[in-house]
Amino acid sequence: MDYTVSTIAPIFLFPFFAFVINAFLGRKLPKDGNWVSLIGILLSFVFSLRVFFDFMGKYDTNFYVHKVFNWFDLSVGDSVFKIDLGIYLDNMAVVMLLMVTGVASLIHIFSIWYMSGDRRHGRFFVFLSLFTSAMIGLVLANNLLLLFIFWEIMGFCSYSLIGIYYEKDKAGDASLKAFMTTRVGDVLFLLGILAIWAVIGSVDYVDIYKAIAEGTFESVTVMGIGMTTFAAFTIFCGNIGKSAQFPLQVWLPDAMMGPTPGSALIHAATMVAAGCYLSLRMYPLMEAGGLTPFIAFIGAITAFGAATIALVQKDLKAVLAYSTISQLGYMVLGIGVGSYNAAFMHVITHAIFKACLFMSAGSIIHSVHEQMMPKLGGLSKKLPITFLCMVACTLAISGVPFFTGFVSKDRILGDAIYWGMMAGQNKAFAIVPILGFLGAILTPFYMTRMMCLIFLGKPRDQHVYDHCHQEHFSLTQHLPLVILSIFTLGVFFSGALIGEWVPVFGAKQEWFKVLIEAPNVNNFVDTIKSSFGFSDSVTSSMSVTKATYTHQLGYFGPNPDEHGVHQAHFIGAILSIFLAIGSIIASYLVYVRGITDPNKWANTFAPVYRTLVNKYYFDDFYLGVVIQKGLLGFNKFLSWFDMGVYDRIFIDGWAKVNFFFVRLAGWFDDKVIDSLVDLNGIIVKIFNVIFRKLQTGRIQWYLVVMFFSLVFINYYFLL
Amino acid sequence: MMMSLASYLVISAFLFLIGIAVILSRKSLIAILLGIELILNAAALNFVTYSRFGSQDLDGHIMTLFIIVVAAAEAAVGLAIVIRHFQLKETIHIDEVSQLKE
Repeated sequence: MDYTVSTIAPIFLFPFFAFVINAFLGRKLPKDGNWVSLIGILLSFVFSLRVFFDFMGKYDTNFYVHKVFNWFDLSVGDSVFKIDLGIYLDNMAVVMLLMVTGVASLIHIFSIWYMSGDRRHGRFFVFLSLFTSAMIGLVLANNLLLLFIFWEIMGFCSYSLIGIYYEKDKAGDASLKAFMTTRVGDVLFLLGILAIWAVIGSVDYVDIYKAIAEGTFESVTVMGIGMTTFAAFTIFCGNIGKSAQFPLQVWLPDAMMGPTPGSALIHAATMVAAGCYLSLRMYPLMEAGGLTPFIAFIGAITAFGAATIALVQKDLKAVLAYSTISQLGYMVLGIGVGSYNAAFMHVITHAIFKACLFMSAGSIIHSVHEQMMPKLGGLSKKLPITFLCMVACTLAISGVPFFTGFVSKDRILGDAIYWGMMAGQNKAFAIVPILGFLGAILTPFYMTRMMCLIFLGKPRDQHVYDHCHQEHFSLTQHLPLVILSIFTLGVFFSGALIGEWVPVFGAKQEWFKVLIEAPNVNNFVDTIKSSFGFSDSVTSSMSVTKATYTHQLGYFGPNPDEHGVHQAHFIGAILSIFLAIGSIIASYLVYVRGITDPNKWANTFAPVYRTLVNKYYFDDFYLGVVIQKGLLGFNKFLSWFDMGVYDRIFIDGWAKVNFFFVRLAGWFDDKVIDSLVDLNGIIVKIFNVIFRKLQTGRIQWYLVVMFFSLVFINYYFLL
Repeated sequence: MMMSLASYLVISAFLFLIGIAVILSRKSLIAILLGIELILNAAALNFVTYSRFGSQDLDGHIMTLFIIVVAAAEAAVGLAIVIRHFQLKETIHIDEVSQLKE
């Protein structure tokens, strides 16, 4: 297959056109045009499947396609100011595209069931299409600016979908909170883009990789900080905001105010993964900037902290929201410890099982109209299909062998062990794998707790239980769940656990591990970008000529200690299998068999419990201290400055100065100018007095004057 | 004996000056009219003189006849104005005739 614009661009354009059609004509179309959105995303899925099969056929680690089109060029003389639009498609983007379009297709199908009869049905599909196209655009983008544009469109869609029932105060507040919190990260991200622009005059990925390989960034410092570190940090802040990492994690749980399929697509499966996608794209920059330990710590704190909060949540969507934050923390942790491949695999596997979990949650909520777990229970008899799908996903997220979560999370944790304990780095780095494993103990526990509270045991609220109808298989409701739960099996990503396995869909053994690799920046040194029009850059450049750049920290650099890595992975795998299974059993014993009462524990550790229920007081801190004390105080100061200083001194002062000059000018006008005018009159009057004398009215006098004048004139001129 | 040009011109100039003097000095309108007649006659004398000593044709004589006609008309109009003024203001004193000033 050739990679031309006409084969790649439709992946983006179909959902985008669906959005345009729905936005303008949606109300007039039958069923609010939900089928337009569905057709758009399905066509997009077909196109990305085509790219994916071709990618499997090539089986080339270094494959990439880079197509550039000049957007605008304001270069004057030597100062180049040129922005290119383009497509950058590499192995990671191909897999990401398949995930995004696939999951989005299933969520569209599910939404048709879930949102039917809803009062915001049409609006929901408009934003779903816009969101999907923006996500695809973000994956395909070849530069940070284009990525940022789609990033912001997704932020807007998220805002709109959270606040889709805008008449509810809570929904409005939640949408605003999500928008403003991510804005903090986005502003810094934009700053990072500008910093990169300032150094290399381009934001193209290829140019950035090239600049890293050539060490261009190193030569520039901002306030004593190397530009690499600065740019890496600010761009990672974009990731923190978008992927709800510590300390900007507060928006994601509130984002659950939106309709559940929207939460599934945006706040669980894809959009939040966009942050990690950005960090993976800019991985060479993060590594060159020496930011990876910081990233690892942020990820570890998020993974553990969110898992602890998830333990005490009563709302089932809140549990899933915190588990999302926790899993995103694992991805970021993976990026931080240099586990590029596993981190990206976790993005994909998490998207699949979390989309399934959220849609199952939607299925439950739609059936029982209740999402507080203390009122649920025993629903496995009434909702058997949902129950089975959710069990598969719970096993996947818990990291039970043969499921995807194990494949990806186990490798992240294995790399974390190697990074933290065996690579002989700073001892404090050991905190990262420890927090990671603590999170890995908690994840199965709270997920099993949720499952037990919803599906097992006796119904806690008989009224709610009776209200729920017996579930029958329906295509739009259950097909997405079933398909996604099939893909929670680990074999699709790795055949390693069961030896030589038959290739799935022509996929080769361990295809994911082989094909997805951190971009080697040295490959990009020789690329020359064509300046105008669509152009192919060097595709699959295998020739490494100037291998000037080496991994700075060298954890998984050119020569990792193979034995050490292997050992670490072995320990990690054994540990996580035992922890996961043990934790699931413990949770089952507590919540179904009731060997101990969780409430007793909550009372015993009351301060801890209260802290967790209050989400570590982050919301109170942000609202009470940062906003109320800090920002509002600052606001008041500014308002005082505006009214008291600026208004009183400058504006009023200026008025006074003006008044003075007005009076001066008035006086000058009155006294000087007017006097001059009067003087004119006076002069005229003086002449008047003189010349009036001539007009005696006595004719003889005139005659005398005339006569002597004539005499004088004659005398003067004739003689 | 042939009289010279200069003597004629001198007589004419004297007539003119006498006329001017009458006009400027006398306060009676009638006397002023008389002065004007003298000035006109001085002009007429000049015409005749230049006709005799200059071009030797009748142009000067014709002009003189015109002047006499104009003088007659002027005397008639002037006296009419004076009579009318006297009827209105009961005076012909020149200093009283200053209505145009106002």
